[in-house]
Amino acid sequence: MLTIGKLATLLGMTVDTLRFYEREGLLAPASKSEGGYRLYDEDSVVRLRFIKQARDCGFTLGEIEQLLVLRGQSEACCGDVRRRAIEKKLQLEGKIRALAAMSKALDHLIADCSNETHPIDGCPILAALEKATTSSDVEGNK
Amino acid sequence: MKIELFYAPGCDKCAANRENLKAAASEHVPDVEWCELNVLDHMEYAVDLGVLTLPAIAIDGVLEFPSLPKVKQFADAIARKAASLERS
Repeated sequence: MLTIGKLATLLGMTVDTLRFYEREGLLAPASKSEGGYRLYDEDSVVRLRFIKQARDCGFTLGEIEQLLVLRGQSEACCGDVRRRAIEKKLQLEGKIRALAAMSKALDHLIADCSNETHPIDGCPILAALEKATTSSDVEGNK
Repeated sequence: MKIELFYAPGCDKCAANRENLKAAASEHVPDVEWCELNVLDHMEYAVDLGVLTLPAIAIDGVLEFPSLPKVKQFADAIARKAASLERS
């Protein structure tokens, strides 16, 4: 049995993170010591490794909770989990595309500002950002 | 009218009602082109259309149902679309 501090050290997490997971219902102590300290078993270690890996793959805590529920359902099948993984990939691919578009927009702004010694009040990047904000405000007010 | 259903192999939710939806499509739109796309083989296209959950249905290249519709809801939508296409 491990205390929360030992569990956090073992998994390279902070005690605050584990307490947060506990408040969110993702983790529960297996028992309590005579002194009232919460104690965690091997199942908690496995569960936390699962949470950590799923977080690294981009799953939200809500989605991880659903995956943990599926993991405990004998009638669930691999297809349910696979579908969720594919949906996460679709979301990530969409985000990657949006980030690439942002990066490209920055390329244009950077290219427009070829003179780095130019005074700040004539900075083409700031001017372009200002212009973009103004035009989107106008569009938003239509 | 072209209807594209994005699915994942082995996904029970994707298989549910698939035949009923296909039958509804044929009933309301006689010349319907029904396509079932494995999202893993069409990831780029699915991302283009904004597919985020499965199954999803696109009509004429537009994502109309981001999640599985009820058969009646689907039938009503394609009947409306077919009527508006006929008018134009």
